[in-house]
Amino acid sequence: MRILIYVLGIYMMSDAWGDDQQVIYQYKKYEKFDLGNLEVKGQLIAPGDISVRERERRRFELDLFSRKNFDGFIKKDVESLR
Amino acid sequence: MKLLLLMISLILSLNAFSEEKKKTLSEVLEGKKYYYSALNEFFKETYSRTIIKDDLKRLEDLLYFTGIELLEDYEPSLLQKYPTSSTRFILARQALQTKKYKKALELFDKIHPDHRYYPEGKLLEAQVYDQQGNPKKRLESYEACQASAEKNENAALSEKIKRYYRMVHEICLVNKARHFFKAEEYKESLEAYNKIPKKSYKWPYLLLEKAWVYYQMGDYNRALGLLTTYKSPLLDTYFFPEAEYLAALSYFRLCLYEDSLTIINQFYKVYRPRFQALDSVLRKNKNSQSYFYNLMFKPGEELKKHEEFVRHILTRMKKQTRFSLDFNAIFKINQEMKRIAQNEKPVIKQMLLPHLGEVKENMINKINYNAKTDIFQFLEGVPFLSSELFKLNLEIISRKKDLVYSNKKLIADRSRGDYSNVKRTKFEYFWTFQGAFWADELGDYSLGLKSNCQTVRQVTEEGE
Repeated sequence: MRILIYVLGIYMMSDAWGDDQQVIYQYKKYEKFDLGNLEVKGQLIAPGDISVRERERRRFELDLFSRKNFDGFIKKDVESLR
Repeated sequence: MKLLLLMISLILSLNAFSEEKKKTLSEVLEGKKYYYSALNEFFKETYSRTIIKDDLKRLEDLLYFTGIELLEDYEPSLLQKYPTSSTRFILARQALQTKKYKKALELFDKIHPDHRYYPEGKLLEAQVYDQQGNPKKRLESYEACQASAEKNENAALSEKIKRYYRMVHEICLVNKARHFFKAEEYKESLEAYNKIPKKSYKWPYLLLEKAWVYYQMGDYNRALGLLTTYKSPLLDTYFFPEAEYLAALSYFRLCLYEDSLTIINQFYKVYRPRFQALDSVLRKNKNSQSYFYNLMFKPGEELKKHEEFVRHILTRMKKQTRFSLDFNAIFKINQEMKRIAQNEKPVIKQMLLPHLGEVKENMINKINYNAKTDIFQFLEGVPFLSSELFKLNLEIISRKKDLVYSNKKLIADRSRGDYSNVKRTKFEYFWTFQGAFWADELGDYSLGLKSNCQTVRQVTEEGE
């Protein structure tokens, strides 16, 4: 039992010790690609069939005045009498 | 002391004035045919006592000579004391104006069918039913109005009275046509419109309305033909911005965009500046009590430039029955004032003339107010139609743009007229227009334009 407690204690201490270490990542500063030498494996298909599906252009028609009654004319006629 | 002498002199004069002691002052005035003075005196004598049948008969007799125009200035509570058909007519009219429809109907119902205001009462009753949304009753009232106006016209002896009843009859008939138009019963509407003779005062106004009926029926050629009638020299006083709009709209429906644009451009270049100038001159005098009354007889210096145009509007207003009645009342009051000034003693003059002066001034104010209202209503309609023409202009541009985008064009750039495009009934004859307007054919024109709305694919140079 005692041994198990020591092992656990050592493990936890070493874990805490490891947190203090700084990890430095380094990236490549320069890399050259020779696109001419790149080869893509597979079948080449020419993009000759690109199409856009046609849809009808939405028309916005203005609401033009179209007389539906002569109510104003009736009132005016009645008023024209006296 | 002076006052006492004046009082004694007044009493003596009045005694001498009403020689027969039994006669009241109003009766004496009536006997001397001073009807306007007698009417005023009659109200003073009778208002505070119980009204008897003879009083009502006398009131009707006096109103026969004076007309009821001046009663409009009286308090309704006073008029209610006199249950005659004339006072009921005035009270019902006031009830209609103040939207008391139930009361208006009650009063119109009490106008005696043989009374001279019965037909006009029926015309107004139809208005009440219209406000209440009762088309069936409205139509019945118009029909009763027509029948009674026709009966009164046939019985009338004076030409002026005949003309008045003819006018009421025609207004009721036209309102019936308008009733059918509102119900989208266009054939019935046209039938009613066509019953108005070409000699009628109302006829030139109806061309625009009939054009709308044809427009709604899809007969744009006939609508355009009717509107062309306004270009005849006989009808040059009748200018309606709405007629210009309807013509542009009809051309638009036939896809004759260039014709439509011609009308729109003409409106903007010629008419709109004219209306704006006129509006600015008239608005300065908006609060005047007599400017518009005087304008009816002579346009002032400021309007000289627009004289002809203003004259046209004023001529139309002078042809209204209302103007004739009011102006006739002023004429009769003037005559009465002159006769009193010439024939009566100073005390009587002092008693009668100030009241007559007030009545006359009220009538002048009424004409002034009506003229002002008419002119401004006309001018205020212009911006609305101007904006509608602008919208139409935009719509034409949009349609033209669509044609370009879709690489299409209209079937013909300018369609020529053809007889095959003229729609007509078996009662309508056809003659070609030879460049001159003939009075008997006015109002029967139709254009023979083919609809240009079919599109064809535009052939480009590359494709050729």
